[in-house]
Amino acid sequence: MFHILLSLGEGERHGYALKREIAKRTNGNLKLGPGVLYGSINKLLELGLIEESDERPDPHLDDERRRYYRITPFGRKAARAEAARMRELADIAAVTFGKARHA
Amino acid sequence: MLSFYRFLLRLYPTAFREEYAKEMEQQFRDEVAGAQGGLALVWLWMRLLFDIAASVPAQLAIEVRSDCQHSLRLWAQRPWHTGFAVVALGVAIGANTGVFSVVNALLLRSLPFRDPEHLAAMTFFIPPHDSATEFDSWRQHSGYLQDAALFEDGDVNIGNPQHMLRAHIAMTSWNFFSLLGSKPVIGRTFAPNDHSVAVISYGMWQELYAGNDQVLGKTLHLYGLQPHPDDLLTIVGVMPAGFNYPANTLLWKAPEYSHGNNGWTAIGRVRPGLTWPQARAAFIADVHRLQPDRKFRADLLPRMTPLQDELAGRIKYASLLLMAGVVLILLIACANLANLTLARTADRHHELSIRSAVGASRARLVQQVLTECLLLAVISAALGLVIAIWATSLASKVQPAALPSQAYTILDGRVLVFMVGLSMVSAVLFGILPALSVGRLHMFAARGSPELRSSRIARDALVAAQITLTIVLLTASVSVVRALSHELHIDRGFKSEGLVTAGVALDGTVRGKSGQRLQYFDEVLDRLRHLPGVRNASASEFLPLVSGKFLGGPYAFDGHPSPRGTATDVLPVMADYFATTGGHILYGREFSDAEVRSDAKVVIVNETFARSWLPPGDAVGHMVTGPEGTVRRIIGVVRNLDFMGKYISEVFDVDPPETFIPAHNPGGFDSTFVAKVEGRPEDHVAAVRTAVESVDRGVPVYQVETMQQRLDRAFTRPRFYRTALVFFASFALLLALIGIYAVVSYAVTQRRHEMGVRLALGTTPMHLRTKFVRQGLGTVVLGTVAGIACAASAEKLLGSLIEGARAFDVGTYALISISICFVAASSIWVATRRIARMDVLEVLRSD
Repeated sequence: MFHILLSLGEGERHGYALKREIAKRTNGNLKLGPGVLYGSINKLLELGLIEESDERPDPHLDDERRRYYRITPFGRKAARAEAARMRELADIAAVTFGKARHA
Repeated sequence: MLSFYRFLLRLYPTAFREEYAKEMEQQFRDEVAGAQGGLALVWLWMRLLFDIAASVPAQLAIEVRSDCQHSLRLWAQRPWHTGFAVVALGVAIGANTGVFSVVNALLLRSLPFRDPEHLAAMTFFIPPHDSATEFDSWRQHSGYLQDAALFEDGDVNIGNPQHMLRAHIAMTSWNFFSLLGSKPVIGRTFAPNDHSVAVISYGMWQELYAGNDQVLGKTLHLYGLQPHPDDLLTIVGVMPAGFNYPANTLLWKAPEYSHGNNGWTAIGRVRPGLTWPQARAAFIADVHRLQPDRKFRADLLPRMTPLQDELAGRIKYASLLLMAGVVLILLIACANLANLTLARTADRHHELSIRSAVGASRARLVQQVLTECLLLAVISAALGLVIAIWATSLASKVQPAALPSQAYTILDGRVLVFMVGLSMVSAVLFGILPALSVGRLHMFAARGSPELRSSRIARDALVAAQITLTIVLLTASVSVVRALSHELHIDRGFKSEGLVTAGVALDGTVRGKSGQRLQYFDEVLDRLRHLPGVRNASASEFLPLVSGKFLGGPYAFDGHPSPRGTATDVLPVMADYFATTGGHILYGREFSDAEVRSDAKVVIVNETFARSWLPPGDAVGHMVTGPEGTVRRIIGVVRNLDFMGKYISEVFDVDPPETFIPAHNPGGFDSTFVAKVEGRPEDHVAAVRTAVESVDRGVPVYQVETMQQRLDRAFTRPRFYRTALVFFASFALLLALIGIYAVVSYAVTQRRHEMGVRLALGTTPMHLRTKFVRQGLGTVVLGTVAGIACAASAEKLLGSLIEGARAFDVGTYALISISICFVAASSIWVATRRIARMDVLEVLRSD
């Protein structure tokens, strides 16, 4: 879900674009299937972290059947908070175990 | 490929599917387009399938949880309604599961023997048995039996004079175990020509020999078995745990054949390939061939039945009847719930219409209603499980099964499947109607819409069906109660009320020596008579209805031998026996303590005995020569005591002649103390046990219980079943009334506006309420007529299941119908009480 927020942080995306983006970011390690992807989207929508976008970013690429999503201000805040929490954890881990060589 | 994926998408819950199916299909298309080559495609499909497997349950859980939360919120608004629905269904499911566990144990689960379906019990028939050779020759030449075995079971004392154990044992023909296909855990079973050897049960091995292998070859004493009151047996084998056939047997003994022993019971294994009717026909032919002259009493006809049916025996029909009863209850409870949910769905018409208007699809709403029903069923099933556990433990206490493998348990695969299936079926049964009615919702018809006509008809039909089922259950229970109370009120020549009984056996104990027996009985009686609350105490060697064996033989009256060698029963009793058990001394008196002590040559005869010689009033003073040759003077005539039970005396007029003699040397048969107590006899059982045991710890005291408990066991339908049936009938009536009440009170709410107008126009509330009653009664009468028709056609079936359940006369049916209509009318009257309080102005203003 964090990955979806991160991807949407860069701009509006539709579902399949999100999937490709996430796969690219994780070097193909995380390939979200449609069920899991839309399950997560549904959850994020319910939580108000993302919303459906009415605007179509590029009229040429637009596809009527596709729904675009964008991050909400609240979602942005939540993502930031999550990132901060992760950084803290990483710092603690670095103190405890030493820094990883191949980050 | 796409259509298959679409098909898979249907697995997702409705709301999710409606929202995202299109997008997911689109993504699917994109991915397929992106996948190059067959391998990539396979890889893609694998990922997709995995994706579906992971996300479908997650989405389902989310949606079901939100539906459940919604349901719980709705329920909380109507706690009584919901609480009642849950309890009603819970009781129904619990009762069904409990009774099914009994049926399963007795009739469905197979016996722990080899090929149990071929095992047969032969009742009221003993094959040739004067010697081992005779029996073996019969069984080996039988055309319809592969093999047959004999056994005779009874109670004896086992142990040493200081510590005696009362045990049920069986003497069996040597092939008994091989016939059943049961093997010992250690040692061996019997071989032909074995004498004085025993096979013991696993329980006895553990308890008396601590499970030690050295048990083989050890000897033990058996006391009280004729013809060897002190029998020394060598143990040759131990049976596995759970093998205790017949009837909780602790020890099996090698056979001793004697001429004319009619204590044997025969079991057999039907030849493979023979059907039961064929085998039965061959059996009956065999019986007639062996005993061409025998006259069969109608109730003692030889018969061959599957062993399983025979073991289920008397409980079989009672439990089947109860099963039918609880299934009816379940149907009634489901009808009731369907009615309540139907009314509620109509109440929620408004809410559902709004939800439908803002985009919830019909499927989504149906799913919501069905989830609610399933949730109700699951909660009820949990409650039902508790009730089932309780009912099962109650049943096994009230009516223990014949074999340990037949123990009633709900932790049996079949019972659990039954229970889960039952809850699901009931959820669907009562959920389907409301769901259908949701399906017919009209989006724009929410406000002020009259209730759907079909839904009203459905509800009326449900009420009528409930009334029908209730009447069937009511008539059945009335019929069974009648049969039972008839049985209770037959004059058996004694009264069971207020009697506590305790069995003792002196064989082999220190007290068992000839001179000491009477002294022991005197000591016990002395203690019993001094117990607080005990009015009288006595003892008998044979209790009426309960004892399985008797003494007796031909006799003479004033020197004249009995006609055609008619036998009389001889029953040794102590002083005050008839006063204690409520017997009727018609003429003369009963024995005194002094007569028992001095072994006076006196006798009491029953009416049948006296009447066969002279008018009973003149019998006192005449002399009787007993089967053992002693000449005794008649000092009393007593009303016949029912020793055989049931209706035999009424129907067959075969009350045997009986003579009672002073029990001068008691303690050798089914010796039983009886105490007449004040108040509930159950409360005195513990005190009586302590008193009897305190006299001598070495004497085994057993079956300390009330006379009623003994009788319940002797009869075909224990009170438990009657109580259960009456409870279910009342419960059904309650459910039906609540159903009527709910429908009417719902109709009152629905037609509030119409009635307000009518009241404003001058109709009286009384008039309106009467109209409701009239309309409601129409449904009730319809249900009643159908119910009476069903009950009348079920009557024959009932009569064949429960002996003594007789056909009803028109009067009883009329009485039941009128009572139902009356109660229904009162329920409608109460449901319409709101009309009387209705404020016309407010009603009109609010609309």
